[in-house]
Amino acid sequence: MSDETAELLPGTLDLLILKAVSLGPLHGYAVLARIEQISGGKLLVEQGALYPALFRLVRQGLLKPEWGTSDNNRRAKFYELTARGRKRLREEADWWNRTVAAVTAALRARPQET
Amino acid sequence: MIAYLRSLSRRFFQRAQVGTELEEELRAHVDLRADALERSGISRAEAERRARIEFGSLERFKAECRDALGGNFIDQLLQDIRFSARSLRKSPAFFAVAVITLASGIGATVTAFSVVNSVLLRPFGFSHPQRLLWIYSQRVDNPRTNFSLPEYCDYPDQNRSFEALGAVASFNVGLSDSVEPERVQGVRITANAFTILGARALLGRTLIPADDRNGAEPVVMISYGLWSRRYAKNPDVIGRSVNVNGEPRQIIGVLPSSFALPNLDTDIVVPLQPESDPRRNARNSVNFLRMFGGLKPNVTAQQAHAELDSIRQNLQRQYPEALTGKIGLTLLPIADEIVSNVRSVLLSIFCAAAALLLVGCTNLAGIALSRSGARQRELAVRAALGATRRQLARLLLAESAILAVTGGALGVLIEIASQRALLRLVPTDLPRIESFAIDWRVWLFAGVVVLIATLICGIAPAWLLSRTELRDALASRNRASTGGGQSRLRAWLVGGQIALALVLLANAALLFRSFFRVSSERPGFDAANVVTVRFSLPQSGYVEREQFVRFYENLYPRLKALPGIQNVGLVSILPLAPKSISFIHFTRPDQPPSNPQNTPSTNYRIVSADYFRTMGIPLLAGRYFTDEDDGERPPVAIVSSVLAKNHFADRSPIGQRVLIDDNDAGPRPVEIVGIVGAVKQTTLETPARPDLYLPLRQAHKDGLSFLRNSTYWVLKASPNAPLSASQLRTEIHRVDPNVAVGDLRPMSNVMNSALASRRFSLLLIGSFAGAALFLAAAGLYAVISYGIQQRTREIGVRLALGATRGRILAMIFKEGALLLGAGVAVGLALALMLAQLVANQMYGVSERDASSFALVSLLLAVVSLLACWFASRRALNVDPVTALRCE
Repeated sequence: MSDETAELLPGTLDLLILKAVSLGPLHGYAVLARIEQISGGKLLVEQGALYPALFRLVRQGLLKPEWGTSDNNRRAKFYELTARGRKRLREEADWWNRTVAAVTAALRARPQET
Repeated sequence: MIAYLRSLSRRFFQRAQVGTELEEELRAHVDLRADALERSGISRAEAERRARIEFGSLERFKAECRDALGGNFIDQLLQDIRFSARSLRKSPAFFAVAVITLASGIGATVTAFSVVNSVLLRPFGFSHPQRLLWIYSQRVDNPRTNFSLPEYCDYPDQNRSFEALGAVASFNVGLSDSVEPERVQGVRITANAFTILGARALLGRTLIPADDRNGAEPVVMISYGLWSRRYAKNPDVIGRSVNVNGEPRQIIGVLPSSFALPNLDTDIVVPLQPESDPRRNARNSVNFLRMFGGLKPNVTAQQAHAELDSIRQNLQRQYPEALTGKIGLTLLPIADEIVSNVRSVLLSIFCAAAALLLVGCTNLAGIALSRSGARQRELAVRAALGATRRQLARLLLAESAILAVTGGALGVLIEIASQRALLRLVPTDLPRIESFAIDWRVWLFAGVVVLIATLICGIAPAWLLSRTELRDALASRNRASTGGGQSRLRAWLVGGQIALALVLLANAALLFRSFFRVSSERPGFDAANVVTVRFSLPQSGYVEREQFVRFYENLYPRLKALPGIQNVGLVSILPLAPKSISFIHFTRPDQPPSNPQNTPSTNYRIVSADYFRTMGIPLLAGRYFTDEDDGERPPVAIVSSVLAKNHFADRSPIGQRVLIDDNDAGPRPVEIVGIVGAVKQTTLETPARPDLYLPLRQAHKDGLSFLRNSTYWVLKASPNAPLSASQLRTEIHRVDPNVAVGDLRPMSNVMNSALASRRFSLLLIGSFAGAALFLAAAGLYAVISYGIQQRTREIGVRLALGATRGRILAMIFKEGALLLGAGVAVGLALALMLAQLVANQMYGVSERDASSFALVSLLLAVVSLLACWFASRRALNVDPVTALRCE
């Protein structure tokens, strides 16, 4: 019974989290807000589903957690991208771009060109 | 791998911490969201409410986060256990039955194992027990007899197979120091013994060769048991002086609790000192020594035997008269010889306990099967919700693990709690039992047993699960879809239980018949209201016969005058004393043996005139001894009917003279004046051997040293006579305060201990068999009534179509009878196969006794059919209308 959200768009949640955190350490709620912001509000992530993903990334050594204080003085756990995380982000982004490009090209195809 | 384990352990130990952190993090998230919502203008309370709703189920995401942390074997295990505990709590009756069954099975098995461990498995206190041999002299009629001192002294010089040879003799001791004089049993042993055996002292030192020498300081070692009992484990006893048979000796060491010698009690160990012994060169002197030796490397026991035997033959040529009757040597591994008598008894008790446990486990597996049948829908729902088959099987195993661990823990608790009772129950002559302890082997064994019980109880339902289509179970409204697999499996299990129960019952029946046979053996004396007390006289003051006689004459009237005492007698060795041997050779002057090897032997007892009357040993011909049979009169003897029959078949022995070899100077004539009934001198099982009695007042000086160390008074009292040990002790000490007095023992008690070992194994195996019978019947009941429950509708239809209740009953009984028949057939085959293993515990009954086997089969059949009948009453009460409407 693994993460359904990830199954809807395989790999994308991890990618978005890595991207969001790449701009600076964030706590969980801020990660959601950042994704919403950078996607222009088009991508909504189920709030609770974020955390299993964060834990998974921490376990893979892509994120480093650290307790800190939020803007409005609440104790929260901040996630920071590790070197491995940065590398993974690059790879995943490349993969995503290639895939999107390929799928887009495929969708543009017309019968006579085949 | 190590990193993985470390992370696993970290995760496990930091679980709590991870849990609170997670909790905190998710709460922070909800709070931050609420802050944001509040900023958009909603009230704080409303903001918090919405934030919680938006977030969804905290618990679910927490669980997912934990999963995301991964590798949570322990978490899953704990989860399984929590879950199974919950489901077991829902059926307390099953839980209770299961735990009680397992606890008694595991308790019995572990208890039996702890005794086996203590007696058979625990290391002997020797460094190389497999190279140590125990050596007896072999005679025509007895493979285990003793050597004389000069004989022993000849072997070490000539032998090449052994590193060294030692000798040991049993030693009756009167022990006295500041504490009250006590009678104990010990050995005299050559001082090289501890080097040969490789045994160490627990405290102080062992004997060393210097202790053997002429004029060495008199020393003594004491056993762990004596040290604990008499000296309360005080380490200061080392160096203390203690009187051993009136002679002061210094305590130099305490033996470890594991120290034991074959068929010898070792409360006291003193050096033998062969060179200074007056018998050193008396070729004809008494045989009182057993030998032992440590084999040299690369020498086999057979080679050693052959070599010693050639030495023996040379000696025999040199001293044909002295070595009369000796025809060989018996060499045995020392450890085997220590436990040889009890090995098969203990192992069969252990196997019986294990069989009971197996019956219990199979029984539970059956119950668990029907539970899992009933739970099929629950399991199907779980599967539909995403549980894998593996997870479900794990769940079922976790359940049986909880049962087995709880049952096991309870069983071990029972074991520990009943230890005291157990030690009272075990026969006191069980070797090595005095140092009984529950050690790591017992714990390890208990762990393995719990594991096996878990598997047996859990595997069947799990296996069944792997064979059923869970989706069908969900779809079907009918619980009967659990199907034939389960019923067949349960039938197999019940058949197995019946078979095992039969094996146990058959063994119990054979043991019972043997016990009955032995206990109805007549010992040849009347034990009713006879009490005995054993004592030792001090070394000094009891050398001449007159001194003994004076002691007897002083004490006899005092004892006779005690209230309620009818008769008082004295004897050198009490009947049914298996460890004491005293026999002599004799010849009829008119029939000298053609070959010295064939010189007959007889048990040899010194008695007072009233001994036979006190013990109720009947006079068959001639007369009893009287006080006139003293040193002034010609020496006389009384023989038993066995001796008369074996050696005087041609004429009455009364008035005949025989030459008895009871002294160092050579055979002397005595005249037979009476024939008394045969007496079982060693055990109830051994047929009575010839007995020859001599009167105390005519005892030869050479026999007196034996009498000095061990004499029994026997007292015949009227029923309810107020006789106490302290009373006797007072009377004895009035005559001589230096006499060491043993315990007061009713003769019935002596009879009982002769049966103790049999009673012990009968009691245990009998109760195991009873429990197995009950479990098998319960298993049969359960499987039959389950079958009826499953077929309620079918029975309803049959009844509706006009079947009589008799036919329904016949149908049910047929099923039961089939199971019973198969179980009994397998059980009988198994019992016959195993019969050989218990053959040596049988007495007066064959180990394949057909009537016993038939009887227990019948018993099992009756009980099983009763179980069927109880189960089938439900079928008879089926109302066809209700049964059909149910659907």
